Amino acid sequence: MLFKIALKNLLGARLRTFLNVLVTAFSFFLILFMSAMYNGMLEHAKQVTMDTEIAGGAYWHPEYDPLDPMTFEDAHSALPRDVQLLVDQKKAFPVLVSQASIYPGGRIMPAIMKGIPPGQNIVNMPTDALSGHDDIAIPVLIGKGMASDTKLNVGDAFTIRWLDTDRTYDADEGTVVHIMDTENFKLDMSHIWIPLKKAQTMLAMEGEATYVTYEKGLPPVQDKGDWIPRDINYLVQDMEAIIAADKPGAQVMYMILLALAAMGIFNAQVLSIFRRGREIGTLMAIGMTRPRVVGLFTLEGGLNAVLAAVATLIFFGPVLWYFGVYGIPLPIDYTEMGMIVAKRLIPVYTIGLVVSTTILVSIIVLIVSYLPSRRIARMKPTDALRGKAVA
Amino acid sequence: MENNTVITINNLVKRFPVGGEFFTALKDIDLTLNKGEFTGLVGPSGSGKTTLLNIIGGLDSPSEGQVSVLGQALNDTSHGERALLRREHMGFIFQSYNLLPVYTVFENVELPLILNKVGLKEREERVAQAMEWVGLSNKTDSRPAMLSGGECQRTAIARAIVHQPALVLADEPTANLDAENSHHIMKIMLQLNHELSTSFIFATHDEKIMAYLKRIIHLDDGQITEDEKIENPKASA
Repeated sequence: MLFKIALKNLLGARLRTFLNVLVTAFSFFLILFMSAMYNGMLEHAKQVTMDTEIAGGAYWHPEYDPLDPMTFEDAHSALPRDVQLLVDQKKAFPVLVSQASIYPGGRIMPAIMKGIPPGQNIVNMPTDALSGHDDIAIPVLIGKGMASDTKLNVGDAFTIRWLDTDRTYDADEGTVVHIMDTENFKLDMSHIWIPLKKAQTMLAMEGEATYVTYEKGLPPVQDKGDWIPRDINYLVQDMEAIIAADKPGAQVMYMILLALAAMGIFNAQVLSIFRRGREIGTLMAIGMTRPRVVGLFTLEGGLNAVLAAVATLIFFGPVLWYFGVYGIPLPIDYTEMGMIVAKRLIPVYTIGLVVSTTILVSIIVLIVSYLPSRRIARMKPTDALRGKAVA
Repeated sequence: MENNTVITINNLVKRFPVGGEFFTALKDIDLTLNKGEFTGLVGPSGSGKTTLLNIIGGLDSPSEGQVSVLGQALNDTSHGERALLRREHMGFIFQSYNLLPVYTVFENVELPLILNKVGLKEREERVAQAMEWVGLSNKTDSRPAMLSGGECQRTAIARAIVHQPALVLADEPTANLDAENSHHIMKIMLQLNHELSTSFIFATHDEKIMAYLKRIIHLDDGQITEDEKIENPKASA
């Protein structure tokens, strides 16, 4: 009964309802869209990281800490038996990591030198560009960001200096054989990639590696020695942390949008109760109890949220769909800022996101509808009939 | 409900706080109204007509005294019980119609039946009948803003009698109407009084209404000064 009356009141109020619903729907759309963009960034970053770097996970040498280059010196050994087996079966590939100094254009720059098998096809890196360069002392693969920083082009030669396992410095000439365009800044910034065998020879670490990356869907190996298994969740956590650092800003924006929608409805409810005093009195006079009148006004506010959800679907649904399919081109390259952000960002709408946003908006709308409606309970029917609202 | 008694009021006093003082709106009111009466509370502005009507309707409560309406002592009832009494057994007609502007005429009249949880089919029949009583069968889909004052008041009457209450309380029902519409409205209510045996109580100082009343209770300064029974009202003859 209340629902029918509330719906009639809402639809009958035409322009007032339309404006309220539109404001709520717009906020709903923006919250949904921004959350989906955030999801999209996160998903994209994870996907790129997995495609280009992590694959199914890795086994790390116990001394290896990618955030501490001082550990690289000791983070190498022969592979544990089962890990080596994976490599032999081409289900994994080893990487040997070392600190190095490079001298592009006569300048000295610190670099992370990584040896990788050119024939690997587990991660999406153009490592095959490193093969077939017998005439070059050290073929080098770098990213676009690194090329820009060092002003190196394909064919340019530069000096590489490294410390081998006997703690002896050595140097030779590296030549850029390929510049890769990757969204994963972790493969690019300060990185030089060389063939694994070459790296092992240079560092006097034959048959050794720092970590092994394996393909997706493999179960953990039994004999991993003291090497540490790192699963996808662990390996993407730094990426998630970078993106999560952006979350407070986004949350402030959600709060502002929600507050806008809430204020619109709160204002409409307060105005309703002041302007519709006589109507409230009439409803009481014809036998509606106070709790029911409160319920009616709260329900009217709540129905705003439902109509807003429908309006979002009708008015903004096509926009959400368009961006969901075609994405949004971003004007700047975030790679140089140390973020994995697609050049065309595609928002990801999950059921969880849609349901949680709907529930959140609905609860807030119900609360801001209920709070002013409580005043009705203090209203005397005779005052209401005279159009006198409670203070 | 005992016998035919619809309303029994004993020693009713109503005071309103005004500043730090109390203003006495009704003093020592004793009154009994029977079923089917067509009664007017008549008096100048501020004489206590509307206050008495509101107390009878359970919209306001007495400061002292006993009020019993349709067998229920209002002093002992809660807000909810009084709302139920109004919903099932009373109808209200207001000076300014108090129609809900976003509803059509049909929907306005239907509202008391919805509150009484009457089924859809029966609702449609009873609304159609009430519309016929007041002569508005051709205006069911109109909204109040599209109606004249007389039509609005006829809609309000239809809303007040659609659930066939035992008692209809009308507060200055003709105050906003011209003479022709006032007579039309009164004739409709008189006819319903005859056909449905519904008791009507009017708060009014309109001379045109008085010509239809079978009983006139004169109020002045919150007290009953005269209780006049009229055997053959002029206008109803």
